[in-house]
Amino acid sequence: MSFFTDFYNKVFSFFKPQDISENNVKDVARSRLKLVLMQDRTNLTPKILEQMRGELIDLLSKYVELDKNLLELNFEQEGDQVALMLSIPVIRAKDEKEIEETLKKEALLKGIQLADDEEENGEEEYNTNEEEADADKTSENQPEELTEEEAHPQDCDNQTNDITAQNEEEHKTEAV
Amino acid sequence: MTGRVIVITSGKGGVGKTTTSANIGTALAKAGNKVVLIDTDIGLRNLDLLLGLENRIVYTIVDVVEGRCKLKQALVKDKKNPNLSLLAAAQTRDKSAVSEEQLKDICETLKKDNDFILVDCPAGIEQGFQNAVAGASEAIVVTTPEMSAIRDADRIIGLLSAKEEIESYKLLLNRVRPNLIATNDMMSVEDVVELLACDLIGIIPEDTGIISSTNKGDPIVNDEKSLAGQAYRNVARRIMGEEVDFLNLEEDKNFIGKIKNFFEKTIKEIKAKI
Repeated sequence: MSFFTDFYNKVFSFFKPQDISENNVKDVARSRLKLVLMQDRTNLTPKILEQMRGELIDLLSKYVELDKNLLELNFEQEGDQVALMLSIPVIRAKDEKEIEETLKKEALLKGIQLADDEEENGEEEYNTNEEEADADKTSENQPEELTEEEAHPQDCDNQTNDITAQNEEEHKTEAV
Repeated sequence: MTGRVIVITSGKGGVGKTTTSANIGTALAKAGNKVVLIDTDIGLRNLDLLLGLENRIVYTIVDVVEGRCKLKQALVKDKKNPNLSLLAAAQTRDKSAVSEEQLKDICETLKKDNDFILVDCPAGIEQGFQNAVAGASEAIVVTTPEMSAIRDADRIIGLLSAKEEIESYKLLLNRVRPNLIATNDMMSVEDVVELLACDLIGIIPEDTGIISSTNKGDPIVNDEKSLAGQAYRNVARRIMGEEVDFLNLEEDKNFIGKIKNFFEKTIKEIKAKI
């Protein structure tokens, strides 16, 4: 009996187009190796890569709202050169006001940290929405004190304008 | 005469370094070159077995460096081919018995009256590897299309590229199984070359004939009918500077070929079940 079912499956699979995504062991091996070879070559451990990814998310979230779960950080080999490929799904670019507020909030956090040296670096990861809400509060409460420390918004204006120009909905930006 | 010193290395053990050394050495000698094979795997020597010379070894490389014999006395001539000789490793000592400098000196001396000196490297990246590489200016990195072998080969390529003395290194992909590549169960030659970013010098198909040739102590290049033997002979020709196309190992991909393969496989399975 089992012989006939085997035979039937064989005949069936013969006429069915080969399934590429599910059963392709070779592609699994290839992508696993690609990653591990890059880690070996660059001495970057998965932990460091994860840290790098986290910091990049923090940095970029100041200017754009991005899909954190889909952000990809990979190495690619082109000949002798190793390139760091960053794929960032952008949900929407923040407008100038939002960016300014975020930066102010950050400056405030820095200020607090400078004030109490003993305190450990607190919440590094925050949700964008909460962060905006917080930023609103802080800007209402103490807007004057922070402006001096904050030189960045102007510097960043050009970049953010570029992004807002392109960006209506979700899109992907790649940076090397 | 200034011979070329080529080290055959891999990082991982069991991928076919020694088989490759024996076969390329034999093929080069058959083509009329004077060849010396040096086994640097001290403590785990095997090259003598693959060449069928295990009963003829009197002196080893350790005897040479410790002055118990002259270099010429330690060279064992191949049974079939007087152009080929072997400098065997000692079986009862360890890798520290020979130093990098000593190996360099041996290679320099052998260069004078040989066309090729092939150094069979031990597995690993420790002193044994450093010794084997010391006298060489070219390298062949042997790997198979398997995860661990490729990863280790990548390490070796990294180490070789950092060595100034190594002018060129090439990849030899061993134990390729076209039927597994066809079903996407094994990485293809192109995949491996892309991952390692290294030029190919040979693709050797998996061949059960290797087992019997090892058992007989007769390298498979001596078997004119064997596909692996043909592939090794091609590697030798490429080393000598000829341009030789790589063997086409892919199974028939057209419809008739598919039907044929399908029936062959099914008949095999039916036979196995009966």
